[in-house]
Amino acid sequence: MNSDSPLVALGAVSKIYRKPGAEVRALDGVDLRVARTGMAAIVGPSGSGKSSLLHIVGAMDRPSSGAVTVAGQPLDAVPERALAAFRLRTIGFVFQGFNLIPNLSALENVTLPMEFAGVAAGERRERASALLARVGLEKRLGHRPAELSGGEQQRVAIARALANDPPLVLADEPTGNLDSATGEMIYGLLGELARERTVLVATHAEPLARMADRLLHIRDGRLIDDAK
Amino acid sequence: MIAFGFRNALRSTPRLALVAALIGAPFFLLLTLQAIGRAVDVYADRLLQGVNDTLQLRAAGSMGHVNMVAQSDILPQRVLERVRQLPHVAKVEPYVLAMTPTEGHNFAMIVGLEPGDARRLESHGEAGSPRIIAGRDLVDSDRGKRVAVIGQGVARWARIDPRDLAGAELTLDLRRTHPVIFALERPPARLSVVGVYASGYVFGDMQLFVPLDTFREIYGVAQGVSWLFVKADSAASVPLLAGRLRAEFGSEADVIAPVSAAEFQTTTARTVRRLTAAGMAASALLLVVVVYFLMLLLVRQRAREIGTLKAIGAPERSIIGAFLAEALAYALAGGALGSLLSLALGAPAAQKLFGPAMGPFVPAQYKDTLLQVLAISSGIDAERIAVAAASVALAALAGSAYAMLRIIRLTPLEAMKHE
Repeated sequence: MNSDSPLVALGAVSKIYRKPGAEVRALDGVDLRVARTGMAAIVGPSGSGKSSLLHIVGAMDRPSSGAVTVAGQPLDAVPERALAAFRLRTIGFVFQGFNLIPNLSALENVTLPMEFAGVAAGERRERASALLARVGLEKRLGHRPAELSGGEQQRVAIARALANDPPLVLADEPTGNLDSATGEMIYGLLGELARERTVLVATHAEPLARMADRLLHIRDGRLIDDAK
Repeated sequence: MIAFGFRNALRSTPRLALVAALIGAPFFLLLTLQAIGRAVDVYADRLLQGVNDTLQLRAAGSMGHVNMVAQSDILPQRVLERVRQLPHVAKVEPYVLAMTPTEGHNFAMIVGLEPGDARRLESHGEAGSPRIIAGRDLVDSDRGKRVAVIGQGVARWARIDPRDLAGAELTLDLRRTHPVIFALERPPARLSVVGVYASGYVFGDMQLFVPLDTFREIYGVAQGVSWLFVKADSAASVPLLAGRLRAEFGSEADVIAPVSAAEFQTTTARTVRRLTAAGMAASALLLVVVVYFLMLLLVRQRAREIGTLKAIGAPERSIIGAFLAEALAYALAGGALGSLLSLALGAPAAQKLFGPAMGPFVPAQYKDTLLQVLAISSGIDAERIAVAAASVALAALAGSAYAMLRIIRLTPLEAMKHE
């Protein structure tokens, strides 16, 4: 894969949700190319299609039409089962609601993707400890999500997203459930990540959007502005 | 991920306890009913043991009780000696019988027999069915002694507490009469009670067993026998032996096959067995349904977690393996809890369950007494528990797998929104 080629390329992507008597066009002919490093922020009102766009880029959902290529892999050609392996190595997800596994400790949550990737037990423990130290949680390794604050949980989620060193991190409203002070810390972490990989973030938070290298405005499923 | 699944089951103690209790309760019920069924099987087997191959001889037209009006003829001693010499005779057990009035129009049977011979009940011919519930049986050293093993009905009449047999005594007044009992001008006999038995039915509990020599001395019957139980060397020899006995003693003895007499009780035992089997089937079904839906619920409740695992790249087989392992862990915990409860409380629970569950379906005379003759133990039958545990595990796996398969085929996003 050419290093100049974009990490993410979407061509005329549409996503339509059909409900009885109604059709919701979440994405409508989106064309997008995202470079190999840096942060791109997707902004727009609620229901504009921000999350839908992230889900399609992250192979969490399939488009109704159009082409999606991530890290040189055309996703429409990948069967559902193989998409898990694709997500495992290529994507790191940070959810608004953290989505940590409640019964596992912070360390175990971070080692989990490495376990799926077949990393040896000793190495995954070492790497997970280092990642948690990077997000400032070296003293909270054995705590379960319920024993951590919202900000701490989101930092565990960020460490988990980095577990297999993916080229792309997708963050869906990562500070949506956090107070502003805690949010600031998360912005810093995401900004740091964007120096070494691509971070695509859907957000309402202006400070985070201001940090981004690129601002993608979306409304009614269409990209209406692409500011760099 | 298998280890992850097992660990997951252990991480939340309240959840594990709740699930184990929900699985353990019907498992315990199943094992309890199994214990009743096993006891009934043992009882029915014991009832028929020694009956199928046994014939009974009495003086022709007489019940053979030495003080019963118009029924006091007994077999001469030579019959006993002669029967012992016949081919196909494995054992001969002589009984001498009398009666004594108790309360109202009731009476009890006194049976003189050789210690070690089967204690048969007067009304039915079954062997070995009366179960000692207190004290001991007659032994060789009791020969000639004034000792008795009595039915619990006799104990009640004589106000003897089976829990305290030390110094327990009972006096037979041979002069007392009854419409069917005539007086014998002999001194009263005081007997030490060494054991109390339960027979499984009211009339069967109204009997006293004393050593044969003791009986002869008390009643002044130096020779002769009331009944003679003739055990053939095999069940196949019984018709041949019956023909021979009739040919030899047809004019002076009635030859009776006790198997028909035991049939009434074995039919009752069979009824109980069927009820137990139905109860077991119902509780097994309940167990499977509970486990299945419990696992279904446990998996569906965690659709978001499954979606997250898919989103972070977990292979389907890993997710399925983890949840199945967790289901298996819950099933094992429930099975272990049910088994432990059964070991600790199985017998008392079976006793409590027996009355309300079986009472309405058995004849009145067995209603309160059949339970006492059953040796219900808390022991667990390894083979059956293995079958029950395997059923629980399969139900758990099926419930879990069904829910898993419905969720696992969704996209991560759909799975997370599934709940």
